[in-house]
Amino acid sequence: MAWVLRMLAGPLLWGALFSAVYALHGLGCAWDWPARATPAGPLHPLAMILLWLAGLALHGALILWNRADGSARQALLVRAGNWIGAVASAATLFPVIVLSTCG
Amino acid sequence: MTEDIPANPARKALRLHREMDRIWSDLPGWRGSLASVNHSTIGLRFMATSFVFFAIGGVLAMLIRAQLATRDGAFLDTALYNQIFTMHGSIMMFLFAIPMLEGLGMWLLPKILGARDLAFPRLGALGYWCYLFGGTIILASLLLGMAPDGGWFMYVPLSGKTHTPGVSADVWLLGVTFVEISAVAAAVEIIVTILRMRRAGMGLTRMPLMGWYMLGTAAMMLVGFPPLILGSILLELERAFDWPFFDILRGGDPLLWQHLFWLFGHPEVYIIFLPAAGVLSTIIPVFARVPILGYGAIVAAVLGLVFLSFGLWVHHMFTVGIPHMALAFFSAASALVAVPTSVQIFAWIGTMWAGRVELRLPMLHVIGFFLTFVMGGLTGVMLAMVPFNWQAHDTAFVTAHLHYVLVGGFVFPMMAGITYWMPMISGRFRVRALGEAAFWLILLGFHGTFFLMHLTGLLGMPRRIDRYPGNPEWEWLNLVSSIGGMVMAAGFALFVMDIGMQWLFGRRSHRNPWRAETLDWAMALPAPPYNFASLPGPRHPDSSAILPLARGEGLLPGSPRDRREVLVTDAGTGRPDHVAVVPGNTVLPIWTAAALGSFFLLMLAGLYWLTPLAIAAILWAGWQWGGFMGSPRDAAPIPVAPGLSLPEHWQIRQTLAYSGTVTLLVADGTLYASLLFGVGFLTVIAPNWPAPESGLGLGALLAAGGALLSIAAATLAARLAETRRDRPTGATAALTGVLAAGLALALLGVLAWQLDDPRRHARDALRGVLLGHAVFHGAVALMLGLRSLCDARQGRTSRLRRGAAPVWQLFQAFWLATAALSLGLVILQEVG
Amino acid sequence: MHKGKFWAVLAVPLLAGCDGGASALSPAGPAAQQIATLWWAMLAGAGLITLLVLVLAGLALWRGPRPTGERGWIVWWGLGFTMSVLAVLLGFALWTGERMIARGDGAMQVQAEAYNWGWRFTQPGPDGPVVTEGILYVPAGQPFDIVLTSPDVIHSFWVPQLGGKMDAIPGHRNVHRLQADAPGRHEGLCAEFCGLGHAAMRFEVVVYDPAAPPAFISAERAP
Repeated sequence: MAWVLRMLAGPLLWGALFSAVYALHGLGCAWDWPARATPAGPLHPLAMILLWLAGLALHGALILWNRADGSARQALLVRAGNWIGAVASAATLFPVIVLSTCG
Repeated sequence: MTEDIPANPARKALRLHREMDRIWSDLPGWRGSLASVNHSTIGLRFMATSFVFFAIGGVLAMLIRAQLATRDGAFLDTALYNQIFTMHGSIMMFLFAIPMLEGLGMWLLPKILGARDLAFPRLGALGYWCYLFGGTIILASLLLGMAPDGGWFMYVPLSGKTHTPGVSADVWLLGVTFVEISAVAAAVEIIVTILRMRRAGMGLTRMPLMGWYMLGTAAMMLVGFPPLILGSILLELERAFDWPFFDILRGGDPLLWQHLFWLFGHPEVYIIFLPAAGVLSTIIPVFARVPILGYGAIVAAVLGLVFLSFGLWVHHMFTVGIPHMALAFFSAASALVAVPTSVQIFAWIGTMWAGRVELRLPMLHVIGFFLTFVMGGLTGVMLAMVPFNWQAHDTAFVTAHLHYVLVGGFVFPMMAGITYWMPMISGRFRVRALGEAAFWLILLGFHGTFFLMHLTGLLGMPRRIDRYPGNPEWEWLNLVSSIGGMVMAAGFALFVMDIGMQWLFGRRSHRNPWRAETLDWAMALPAPPYNFASLPGPRHPDSSAILPLARGEGLLPGSPRDRREVLVTDAGTGRPDHVAVVPGNTVLPIWTAAALGSFFLLMLAGLYWLTPLAIAAILWAGWQWGGFMGSPRDAAPIPVAPGLSLPEHWQIRQTLAYSGTVTLLVADGTLYASLLFGVGFLTVIAPNWPAPESGLGLGALLAAGGALLSIAAATLAARLAETRRDRPTGATAALTGVLAAGLALALLGVLAWQLDDPRRHARDALRGVLLGHAVFHGAVALMLGLRSLCDARQGRTSRLRRGAAPVWQLFQAFWLATAALSLGLVILQEVG
Repeated sequence: MHKGKFWAVLAVPLLAGCDGGASALSPAGPAAQQIATLWWAMLAGAGLITLLVLVLAGLALWRGPRPTGERGWIVWWGLGFTMSVLAVLLGFALWTGERMIARGDGAMQVQAEAYNWGWRFTQPGPDGPVVTEGILYVPAGQPFDIVLTSPDVIHSFWVPQLGGKMDAIPGHRNVHRLQADAPGRHEGLCAEFCGLGHAAMRFEVVVYDPAAPPAFISAERAP
């Protein structure tokens, strides 16, 4: 059953990252973060982008090191889980780098 | 990994059948039928009842179409029309689609996985009675003219007490929540059955795809339904006791309802689609005469759908004023979810490509699926695009889209499934031609109704209007839709007639009429109540094993100990683990459902002071259920096959009940997480925060802290009650645990007096709910503790037998964790 | 854009007698125009994809068996084809949406209060705000923001010819950006179900020439 947990790791990481970025978005808009400046631009998008990139790095780590040594099908499913999570995190959260935050 | 298990000696198949039938049959007569718990009976009841509700929902749809056929629609008055469209949606979602798929899963899974029954037969029966009673309450309101009329998603404030006085909204909230008990029950049952009751040696990666689909569905139900259950509880608390969760003046927010509703509502669509896709993945390879193409890819697609579908809910809320970036997250997720769907569609086409397809009636419905669902999926992608959604949202375009998805993605596959498995249910072939005529009428009628409705929406017609005197340009479109609707209704009537004719006049079917390979066809037709006289193992992996299994060559043959015995396997590998005894016919489920029903009815009638009686009845019923958890003596291992004997489930820690409790706690944890989301959402988003100064003082802190310590002590005692079960200290520990749990409940009662009036502000109301959550779980834990204490006192535990203690520990730990989190949250609110 | 209009013209004979008073397919403002373009593009794409899938399914049903592999169906069609189409569409839609949202650029503001069951609009006038019932007056060719509020239940402001809709939610203040190209009249309606009066909860948008505003309306931009 360990391979099932390995298969779920990628999608679960997406779930956590998606919730975290969405929560950070809501909190930032409520606390007026877009107006707060940092040396690297407004605080709000910066915080979300950093969180997103950290999450993508974790996805990369999963893809590199999260493997199962059972049957070929188990190995395939673990690999698929890693990629589903990574692609989902990249595709659903890329708006943090292109869109206006609280408009 | 899966070692061979030798075969049992062959016996006379007929004698074995009689031996099994005696133990596994339902009781005769209508009184006997109230006691049925067998999965085939319960599954068929679910499906038949859901079909009745489908017919009722269909009649309501025809009334809607009659009203809209002309622009002045003087056929119904607005109040009645609002009830009718609300009931059409609610019935089709909650009383047709969900119970239908539950019924299919409950009926089919043990057969296709090679088991005799579901993991919790009584739970299945309880679910059915809850569904029937809840559905009846909802239906009765329609006959009495008090039906819900706020639309099937019940947006507040429209469904609040101010704008919907009377009981109509309460009917929806209480009735649907009552029915949802059956959904959560079915989810727990299906997950445990799939993970632990597969044929010996059937590893997860080799189980029929239907198993993966239903596993995904049940997991989604487990996580998808709790937000709606919580939302319904909160709204009912607001309506009944004026606790302001959605009232902006007192720190509530109507958007909280929308989030909770769609957190359920969007996964719901995939909960409905996945079993239907499972049917397609089962049927298409049979008629193409090749193995399914891309097994691994399809499992991965199911995995993707299960997760992604929880990241889409806000696409129902694109016009509520959420910032564009947040919309974009959900828009992208909604687009991405099309990928696993399309992987499956291409896998099915590839399978047909690789084989030679026989166009039998089930395949016609599969074609109906392709002709309908592809378009529904594409309009879904369109609606996922934010700007287009701003135009199309809440118009007839959405109505058209959702019917393409639900009829294409659920009704057609279900009709394929029904026509496919009908010979197994009735033991007969169908009568020629009627089914084909029904298919064509439904297909043409459907597209006649809904194809042009996309255009109607783009021309500006919103949903849920009953007349449109100023817009003659919508009239011919609506008339076409209405005519199409009538044609479709005629088609469904013919479909039902076809099923009835098959039952009454069909020729006797021979075994395995479609020459399928899966184990569901490794039994005589119609399927016997016990499914397999001896259970399939590594030697009997597919339908070709029908005769050896009937002759008792498989595992655990017959019922020599006069009780319903099933084989429990390891979740991952399918290695045989132990023999579980499952309960036989009993009226306990219907009494429990009646007790629950009395609670809901008393709430509905506003007789809150009488509800303690109903709660007492529920506790009594719950106590009776636990009676099955202990056994008075150690039993010798049960022979399963030559050289393989396995212990009874009472002598095992990882029982089905234990797995079921873990599964249930996942749903319970989701409910609690939804509550935390509610606290966070209102704190950050709702107007009129921060809340007024709270009156919580040292007394409240002492009561809460004392309660938490008592819960911790009870948790520790529950652990000791199990580890020292063969010594007198075990009974002492159980007694200590019960007393500590009781003390904790008393202290929580004290705390209730210290809280601020929950009607003052949403924060105070939420604290009331957090406290209620702790009290509820305390009551459950206390019951389990008492059960363990009784087990220990009455000698129902031993070194081998653990009784209820393992399950008690699980609930204690959950109670401790949630109570600690709640206390921490309140302290944070007070400090921050 | 032009292609879109061309298709719209082809579709018109189907819509007998429709002069587009409430039609999202006869846009009269930039937002509605962009969405209509998006729609016609998506319709063409969806039509082609439907055809493609049904032809493939039809061929698959036709005769067989034929040797085929998992890779082509799953990787190329299921993943490759689907994801590239979606990526292009999503990018286009987000870019379209981003240009549509209200931004604090000092555009004219009107207030719209949606209530059970009617619309009360407040627009700037020469002698202070002018309140109208059921009719909203806006100048042609200028962007304007509608500030939406509701005192009772949730309603939704929708003028199909001008653009998308926006909900009026108790306790919230939503801002919706629209613009009308030329003087004229457009139907508006409540899109979110709000009870007994929902179907009749209509309003009208009167677009006037900013050079010749109605006497009681000021054409000047409010600050």
